Order: sequence, then structure tokens, then C-alpha cells
Amino acid sequence: MSKCGVVNIESRKKSLHYFFEKLVVPLGFKFTPDKNMMNFLLKQEVILEGRHGIPFCPCQPLRHDRARDMQIVCPCIPFHRKHFDDIKRCWCGLFVHKDVLDPDKLPQLPPKEVNNE
Amino acid sequence: MSERFIRAISANEIAPGGMKAVELNGSEIVICNCSGKYYAIQRRCGHMNAPLEMGTLDGIYLTCPMHCAQFDITNGEALSGPVPSDIGHEIPPPLLGKYLQNIGILMKQVRTESIRTYETKLKDGWIQIRL
Amino acid sequence: MNKIIVYTLSTCPWCRKTKNFFNEHKISFTYIDYDMSDEPTQRRISQELDAAGVNSFPYVKINNEVIVGYQPERYSKALGI
Repeated sequence: MSKCGVVNIESRKKSLHYFFEKLVVPLGFKFTPDKNMMNFLLKQEVILEGRHGIPFCPCQPLRHDRARDMQIVCPCIPFHRKHFDDIKRCWCGLFVHKDVLDPDKLPQLPPKEVNNE
Repeated sequence: MSERFIRAISANEIAPGGMKAVELNGSEIVICNCSGKYYAIQRRCGHMNAPLEMGTLDGIYLTCPMHCAQFDITNGEALSGPVPSDIGHEIPPPLLGKYLQNIGILMKQVRTESIRTYETKLKDGWIQIRL
Repeated sequence: MNKIIVYTLSTCPWCRKTKNFFNEHKISFTYIDYDMSDEPTQRRISQELDAAGVNSFPYVKINNEVIVGYQPERYSKALGI
């Protein structure tokens, strides 16, 4: 942050990347290979952290109820494990299964629409 | 800034990943060991002065124990501000409630500043800090 | 005339793609950025999401059909294009 207490977005993105990687890799995920998407989403999370003090998912609603909102703190994979394993990505697409090479081919399906074999 | 490096502590007093608070010539400093490299930062959090050696060090990132502000120890940059506390849904007694409300208003005005760093040198197994 | 209402977040790229879909196909639609809305609006949308058993954006309503997530093929199908 500069002396005015305003966060440097690139610095914060770098540190979030460091912390998140350690959390998602043991879960079988990785950052999306789509670098533009990754950078965009991390930037949104820095903005959300600036607004609310916590890096929330940029694609899920804040309910202003702590118990519910904790479930969308990034990385929110543990709270949506089955759903995200089924679609091989997290909802906003920041993370994908470690073997995914083409993240564009992963549709954004809600839990009800995923075919369970 | 003077050219003087002052001897602080023996290098083997801090294991990798660890931190130690020292006071040198009136300055409160925390020395961090990041994978064998030593960094020195001001002891007091740039948010509300909490002692940073009581926080957690992960790589080059230090998290303050009081409100979880995070800093890059290589350059002192404040990376994030306080994380809001949750005091639950219970309605507090009136005096406590008013106190918490006032504290909340004041804390919204508190900035998280970047922290000062100090140059370090390792000599003959001792960590030296330039003051 | 199709009635299209979309609930989105200003921070969500998929919501952006959804808006672009309708714009590019020159289809008129209404959208509400949930995170930029006032408290009563947020509460109303929140209740609607809960009633539908849904917790994500984009949330697209084409007439009576609800489509959650960026699903351009389903939008096309619902619009008959």
C-alpha cells in the first residue's frame, strides 16, 4: 500500500496467488491456464477485499450473513467440492481440475444440471 | 540513515519460518527468517500497532495477529487491511453495544500503512541491522 | 415479445459475457447488478435465489425459464434463435 493506505493491486494479486495455490493443489485443482481470466478474477477479488475486507468469489452473491458468506471466501472449493469436481472447475473459473488443458470447454453448470453418473 | 550495522542476535536464534522481536537503540524490530534469508521490519503493525512477531510468517508474507493485515517483509508493503470481526447475532447489552458501535466508526477511519524495513547483514553467524 | 431479466454481479466475467450475448444478438433485456443494488433490492433477489434453490450468477430469466450460469446455447434455444 502507498502511504494513503491504498492497496497495490498487482502486489496483492501476487500474494493471493501464493496463498491460494498452496490451498488448491492438495485438492486436485490448479489456477486456470487462461491467464487473462485468472488475472481478471484475481483483480476482482482484490477489489472485493478492498470493499469487504475478505476476498470473496466474484461470481456468487454476498448474503450479509456470516455463516453463508464464509462459504464463498476464495478458494471456496471445500464448500462446493462435489459440484466443482463434477464440472471440473470452480464457479467463477479461477480454478480448474489439475488435468484441464482447455478451460473454455468447461461449461458453467449449476449443481442441479450436472449429470451424475 | 547511518552507515552503522548493529549486531542484533545470533543467526541460529531464529529457525526458518520463524520471527523474533528485538529492541535496538530504542527501535522495536522484528527479524524474520525466510528460508535462511533474514529480513528486518518494524515491530508494530501498520494498522493498529499490534506486535507482528506474534503473527504468522508464510514465505515472505506476514499476517498480523490482531486483525490479519498482511505485509510483504521484503519491502514492508501493506497488502491488505483488517479482516472484519464477527460478533455474532446476539444483541449486546446497551453500553457494550454502544461501545462496539463507536469503535466500529473509528476503525473505519484507520488506515493500514506500509511498514518500515531495515537492511540486514549476516556476519560471523550474527545478524546485523542497519539503523 | 420475450421478457428477459438478468441478475448479475459487476465483478463477474460470465455475467459480462451474458450481457454481451444479448447485446450482440440485438435482444433487449433488463439487468440488475446485485452487488451495486440497494439493500431492499438485494434482499428481494436473495429471496428469489433461495426460492429457486440457487446461489450463483448469472441468473437469467427468459419469460418463465430460469437459466443459471453462462449457457449461450440454452439462451438461444429459449429464444428460438
